[in-house]
Amino acid sequence: MPGVLIVEDDKELREMLKISLIRRKFTVLEAANGKDAIIHFKPSITDLVVTDLIMPEEDGLKVIMKLRELKPSIRIIAISGGGKAGPGSYLNLAKALGADAIYSKPFSINDLIAKIEELLNNEQHT
Amino acid sequence: MRFLAKEKDISDQIINNSRSMISIIDRNYIYEKVNTTFCDAHQVVIDSIVGKSLGDVWGHETFQNMIKSNIDLCFSGKTVKYEASFNTPQLGKRYFEVVFRPLSVETGEITHLLAETFDINDLRLSKQAAIEKEEEFRKFETNLPIGFLRCDPEGKILHANKAFLKIMECHDEVSITNMSLRSFYPEEGFFEMQYDQLLECNTKTFGRVSLKNCRGKEIPCRISGFLAVDESGAPSFVDFAVEDSSRELMLENRLLQAQKLETIGALAGGIAHDFNNILATISGYSEMLQDDLLKHSALSEKVSKIQGAVLKAQSITNQILTFSRQVEQEKILISVSEVLKETIGFVKSAIPSNIMVKSRIPKKNANVFADPTQLFRVFLNLMTNAIQSMEEEGGTLSVNLAVVEGKFVQHELNKGIVADEYVLLTFKDTGKGMEPSLIGRIFEPFFTTREVGEGTGLGLSVIHGIITEMEGEILVSSKKEKGSVFYVYLPVSKAYPDLSGKEDKRKKILFITGNKYESRILSLALENTGYELIYISDRRHLIKVMAYINERPDLVIYMSDSKQIQPEDLVGIFHRLNINTPCILITDPNQELLEEKLLNSGIIKQHLIKPVSLKEIRNAIQISLK
Repeated sequence: MPGVLIVEDDKELREMLKISLIRRKFTVLEAANGKDAIIHFKPSITDLVVTDLIMPEEDGLKVIMKLRELKPSIRIIAISGGGKAGPGSYLNLAKALGADAIYSKPFSINDLIAKIEELLNNEQHT
Repeated sequence: MRFLAKEKDISDQIINNSRSMISIIDRNYIYEKVNTTFCDAHQVVIDSIVGKSLGDVWGHETFQNMIKSNIDLCFSGKTVKYEASFNTPQLGKRYFEVVFRPLSVETGEITHLLAETFDINDLRLSKQAAIEKEEEFRKFETNLPIGFLRCDPEGKILHANKAFLKIMECHDEVSITNMSLRSFYPEEGFFEMQYDQLLECNTKTFGRVSLKNCRGKEIPCRISGFLAVDESGAPSFVDFAVEDSSRELMLENRLLQAQKLETIGALAGGIAHDFNNILATISGYSEMLQDDLLKHSALSEKVSKIQGAVLKAQSITNQILTFSRQVEQEKILISVSEVLKETIGFVKSAIPSNIMVKSRIPKKNANVFADPTQLFRVFLNLMTNAIQSMEEEGGTLSVNLAVVEGKFVQHELNKGIVADEYVLLTFKDTGKGMEPSLIGRIFEPFFTTREVGEGTGLGLSVIHGIITEMEGEILVSSKKEKGSVFYVYLPVSKAYPDLSGKEDKRKKILFITGNKYESRILSLALENTGYELIYISDRRHLIKVMAYINERPDLVIYMSDSKQIQPEDLVGIFHRLNINTPCILITDPNQELLEEKLLNSGIIKQHLIKPVSLKEIRNAIQISLK
């Protein structure tokens, strides 16, 4: 099954995402901040990353840039609970930096999973 | 004889060397004798004066007008003294003091007079200069914007300038002269304390002190004192400079409030961010739970309630994020008066009959850079608040728009001006008003004057966030039981919207639904068809719908199970905005009756009944857009 990396500093939310993805038979990898996600990134088994944006150590924007660089074909979904840099929101910045989809918290987990499946299916076709 | 001759020589010497012009004049106004000083002044020798008349020497006109009457007076037995200016050949026009003294022979008859003329030109000029200097100083002191007063060592006012009278709202100087400065101090012993400090160090600037003015109003003042002492070291008088610092105090308070809001904003924004994580967790688990449960079961309904509560909480965190300016506004160049007119029209349709709405909106157009939805929200919220405050007693809401020059408003604003022109909007009500102590706090989140349960207390803080994000400012003044006025300053934007990007020729479809899932499916279905889909399903429905419809989309699809947007509202919006956009209505099979009104309104071009396939929708869209 495809591997999904969850990068989220909120433990409960990370846990919830993990459980919901395991229910759908995904292989789940976890990281509690951006720095860990980058250091322990395993390109061969990670097909998609769901990343929070505002996190301690390295933030999600750095994760997006770095992981894209390490594995250009990776699918990225950014999730955020607010936050703004200059005139644009973090989420829009994430999109500009190459996130395939963005969700603001709280989001519908079914929407998120539908998006994950869609992104991974598209990848298999291409 | 020799002695006498010598004595005469000495007296001649004295007379001739006097600095005054000395002469003896007979009754025929003829000079009988003159001294050397006289001759020097006229640059003549003695012989050419003696035997001449005064008219010959000074000019006949001068003699008739200025000299003769004085001489006649002297011949009547009086000593005459006066000041006059005469032309002298040596020095031109100069001021003289003239003294005529009668000289009498033994019989008592006055036959001659002694004329003494002193040159007082220099004295007179320096006197004149001193007077002018004093006048200049008086003028300076009168026009000084700082109150100035001089007191005797007891504190009794000897003199006060205009500025002091103005600060103290006194009619004239007389009314406070001889009053004690002490009587302006509302707190007993305060004046004495300051005076003691002055005795110690002579000059002192005191901190802010409240003085009670002639109308009994307390004015915050900044006072400096200067104690003057005489030769023995005893105080001779005290000067005070008094500055009205009410404005300074008000600005300081406003700045403090602004900083406080900034701090609360950062704090609340952080909390909202963390809170969204928690909400995402709750929402995720309840969705999973919902999937596991039988549809329409009792447990499933309870989970739906959890999901409903999450939505409610999300709306609050969204508002907090808007207040703390962490929500992106989609700004465009927009006419303030258009948005204001729309909002007023919207508000007017639903106000109680005891409330009047008056508006003055000039024809002159002014554009600002703003998110129309947010701007609508600002106006709507301010008007709704105003109306609520007048609900019981009735009243008038006056809404005014004016375009003002930046340089005229810079004193009003806390921040520096950012534009040449500002739009100033005032929302004035005649409602309940506020206690002065509350005014400073109304923009704080969760601060509310209403009963618990009536509103979240976020409205004004959200508005504050939106306006601040636009680089504008919102100010308020209020009087308990009289009403409140909100002033909104928005910088006028002269810039044109950035159209550098390629022009978007994709057809815009506005999809209104209460069901997020349906809209998601539709968006997936239409994603690669070249249509741009905007869907609205959140709680700020009506405002958003209005703003988006006003953007003139090419098509509106209205899914009628939307609980928040009533069909009547939609028709109302279409009519108000005078929009002819085609609309596709999708309803449940048992809903025909409800939608009848909508169908007859002439807006609906097509009507589909659920369940509808994506193909059906695509076809309907194609037909409508042809």
